[in-house]
Amino acid sequence: MASPAPDLPAFSGAAWLDAYSASVGRGDVVREASNRAMWAAMADEIAAANQGDLTQARQRIQRQADEIGTGFRMPGDSDERKWPLSPIPLMIDEREWTAIADAIVQRAGLMELLLADIYGAQRLVGNGLLPAALLNGSPHFLRPMVGLQPPGGHQLHFYAADIGRGPDGGWRVLADHTRTPTGAGYALENRLAVARVLPGLQTRLNIERLAPFFADVRAGIAAASPRADPRIALLTPGRFNQSYAEQAHLARYLGMLLVEGEDLTVHDERLYLRTIEGLKRVDALWRRVDPRLLDPLAFDSRSRIGVAGLVDAMAAGNVVIANAPGAGVLESPAFAAFLPRLSMRLTGEDLRMPNIATWWCGQDGERDQVVARLDNMLISAAFPTEPRGLPDGPVIGGDLDPAARAALLADIERRGVDYVGQELARLSTLPTVGENGLEPRPFLLRVFATRDASGAWRVMPGGFARIGEHLDVRAALMGEGTFSADVCIVSDQPVAPVTLMSAADQVTIRRNPGTLPSRVADNLFWLGRYLERAEAVLGLVRAAIGGSFDVDGGAALASETIDRLGGLIVANGAASKRAKSRDADIIALARAALDDAGETSSVRNLLKQARSIGEGSRERLAADVWRLLDAPFPTRDAIAARATQLHERLSALSGLSAENMGRTAGWRFLDLGRRIERAITVCRLLRALGGDASSADDLAALLELTNSAIGYRQRYPTGLAPIAVRDLIALDAGNPRSLAFQVEAIAGHVAALPRLSDDGMAEAQQQLANALVAALATLSAGRLDDHEVQSIENRLLAISDAIANRFFLRGGEPLRATGLTLA
Amino acid sequence: MKYRIIHETRFTYSVPVRFARCNLRLRPIIWSGQTLVEHSLATIPSGEFSFARADASLANVTRLVIPDAVTDLRIVSHAVVDVDRPVPEIRTDDPDLATIARLARESRDVSAASPANYLFPSPMIALDPAIADYCAESLAPERGCLEAAIDLARRIQRDFDFNTDVTKTDTPPSEAFAKRGGVCQDFAQIMISGLRSAGLPAAYASGYLRTIPPPGKARLVGADATHAWVLLWCGPTRGWIGVDPTNGIWMAGDHIIMAIGRDYTEIAPIDGIFLGSGARSMTVSVDVEPLLETVPAHN
Repeated sequence: MASPAPDLPAFSGAAWLDAYSASVGRGDVVREASNRAMWAAMADEIAAANQGDLTQARQRIQRQADEIGTGFRMPGDSDERKWPLSPIPLMIDEREWTAIADAIVQRAGLMELLLADIYGAQRLVGNGLLPAALLNGSPHFLRPMVGLQPPGGHQLHFYAADIGRGPDGGWRVLADHTRTPTGAGYALENRLAVARVLPGLQTRLNIERLAPFFADVRAGIAAASPRADPRIALLTPGRFNQSYAEQAHLARYLGMLLVEGEDLTVHDERLYLRTIEGLKRVDALWRRVDPRLLDPLAFDSRSRIGVAGLVDAMAAGNVVIANAPGAGVLESPAFAAFLPRLSMRLTGEDLRMPNIATWWCGQDGERDQVVARLDNMLISAAFPTEPRGLPDGPVIGGDLDPAARAALLADIERRGVDYVGQELARLSTLPTVGENGLEPRPFLLRVFATRDASGAWRVMPGGFARIGEHLDVRAALMGEGTFSADVCIVSDQPVAPVTLMSAADQVTIRRNPGTLPSRVADNLFWLGRYLERAEAVLGLVRAAIGGSFDVDGGAALASETIDRLGGLIVANGAASKRAKSRDADIIALARAALDDAGETSSVRNLLKQARSIGEGSRERLAADVWRLLDAPFPTRDAIAARATQLHERLSALSGLSAENMGRTAGWRFLDLGRRIERAITVCRLLRALGGDASSADDLAALLELTNSAIGYRQRYPTGLAPIAVRDLIALDAGNPRSLAFQVEAIAGHVAALPRLSDDGMAEAQQQLANALVAALATLSAGRLDDHEVQSIENRLLAISDAIANRFFLRGGEPLRATGLTLA
Repeated sequence: MKYRIIHETRFTYSVPVRFARCNLRLRPIIWSGQTLVEHSLATIPSGEFSFARADASLANVTRLVIPDAVTDLRIVSHAVVDVDRPVPEIRTDDPDLATIARLARESRDVSAASPANYLFPSPMIALDPAIADYCAESLAPERGCLEAAIDLARRIQRDFDFNTDVTKTDTPPSEAFAKRGGVCQDFAQIMISGLRSAGLPAAYASGYLRTIPPPGKARLVGADATHAWVLLWCGPTRGWIGVDPTNGIWMAGDHIIMAIGRDYTEIAPIDGIFLGSGARSMTVSVDVEPLLETVPAHN
């Protein structure tokens, strides 16, 4: 806890802001605020919530943001980079905001008109208002979309713009996002974090809520869909995409299915989801996959994440794709040069918010102007492909040395189409918390608009502010920003409390949570198997290092038993490399089985696999489950302490799923995976330690590893007998760790899962499971020899295969037939 | 000259693959200097043909679905094409390169045949500074466009080795350029990359060459398989002029265009997906036979 500042009673937020305002230059949103009261109220709330300690404020908000799961993944790497959250929200007065929102609505409407022409009648090009090359230069101009009508009539459902506030207080548009606008999920997460850390803010000020906007997103897509009560899915490129965390969060918040390309298939120009109940119609996709990769038959045939035939389904009017493929053509910076004139032509109005002044060098006159004023211009790529001479992004002409300047001029002379000149925009600053208290930093604001159920544009009252690392206020040099801030729109009027909850009369009660995609079932099944396998290996590790069994009053295990445990560790693949080295004593084997990253089935690797699988279904896992999966592997303590720590973590995981997970089909697959793995483990332990020739130590270890020691003592006070131990851990269905108990649970799960046909016949996995239940019921412990146990293990593996065949994706790899031999 | 073309593609798989869906771009387009007399497509086993709704290029796209699981799939295209295309002549009033570059930039045509469509890098053809500098020697802005095009094609034919071992179908032009070798696709891509780097509209043509040369002439490289070459847009009067950098010649009576695109990815004769996995192999055979003038068009 931070100690309260000694002068706390005299402290006030207004004092901070006065000091801050006096210290900053022109163009700061606090210094020049028309509504100082809202900033003062916000500062008071920060002071009250943090005992006046700004450092504490910064740490608390970051903890909350981490908690909520704001993660930002770079393509190709598997660690998440945090996008730190500033403790100070950007406050915007409602009067200023109304003008911004009006301008965004106008701009979104203009974007739709442009797309309708570009992919429709193409009059703008024919009339000379748009050069054809302006479209062709964009890799996001998708010619196959020309002439196709989007179902519902709109290409654009969701739109975002990056806007910057100039030192004069005027706002400008710096970039349009029409292809796959991202960041709305981050805005939501930031708001949730701020609401937790500054709980009094909403009572001090009337801050507009974000929830109605997200309800509109869903309603807008639903309204465009061909069927009533449509099934809407968020199509993600998968967990290696940089905004997967945001996508998972949004899907969960909006109640959309989170799907990947392989979950979907097109038949007869209709889109279907592959589920454990067979194919289910999908009516609309909120698309996060790059449209060029969306359909290997319509666009890039090399795509491995697309859905073959999806564009046909859209063209046939059977599926809404938001936004329509090809909408990204408007994102080219060169477009900004034409928008003022196009706005006048298409809407009869000037742009309500100007975009950054832009000259496209694909036109000879404009190119000559850019060349003449090169020193005071920002030279940028005209399209989203990197042209020659700009390897590190935009440059200011005046910053170049003579050689670089000459080279750039030659490039512009050769291929002017690839370049634009832009005015050098400057940005306002806002207060952030730095090492020395409040520090001004430049910022950009991403604002979002969606169509609502009536097709009208709605602007999110708030947004995602990105803040520059340094004080340099030239917009071009800010880059993506290094941290973010919540954006609060402050109203004069009280704001109605709303969340995504529907009014009571609109709710139809249902107890079935809906469809389970086959891929998710597959993931959950294997998550269960890996977690259970990790528990089994961890049990062996603890037995091997502990010698903690005290059946005979604390004596260490006999060396033969230790050898058998070592053999089990090696046979499990947890220390097979280690076993080959000369000093492979039991402690070395146990250590390898615990945390050697080079061993396939070490606890470390199994947990890594479990995390990776869990990540693929993150929107289905409770936050607590994910936190445990995501926790770093313990490295510091001694091996025994680490093993105990991991044991507790795994117990917590299994407890969470047993107690907290809804009894859905998803839970059944997770539990099926666990039961099958646990049953297999019992078989292996029985063969190694449960034979007729087993020693008392072997049997004690067997009971301990199957958590059955207490159950045994309750039944057999006299001592250890192989046949009694075998009966308890193999055949006694009253023992929750026994083989028979697992098999009955397996049979129960497969009976409860959906069947494909309604002919009343059992499917393969049911037949196999029921047969195994019956076999165990008629076995006696005396006949349970190695051979019999091996046969049971094989039958368990056959059940696992049958489950996979019936429920999981069996598509295999899509193969390309790029049929051409070239001479 | 009429040609009969038989283009057979055979896929074999070690385990059955299901539900093949492909785009076939095997029906030659009608283009200046050539007409399509007849064409048929057949597959073994048989499949369902349909029109593709979405199409991007100067190609005839047929959608094929093979519903059955197969281990052996043959796709046979049979075409008769009448080619009457003289060797282009260089004229003194050909537009210069600066002019055609400007006309392409200013084009008001947004169709797939517009020169504006071919000014930019495309999925397989990036703009590469080394290629740009090499090609620039032939591409002075004031030079006549036909003269420049054939000069560049001849230089590529002279300076690069035809070698089927140094590149693969997905080798980028920069790599083929560095190795100074490759096959027709590599030479076409290098030339297109260089032309586009100079701001010129250049397209990728795929098609066939006649297999048996006329008496007394040498057999051209690229017969017996599909071939690729380059089209340069030479202004509204002269239109698209073809040059073949693999052979260092003009596109004329021996070249049969199947499809035209920004690069191979748009006009692959067959692409698509199968469900399944396992080893596969593909063989292609092409036969281009000149027909005697007395053979009727429809038999």
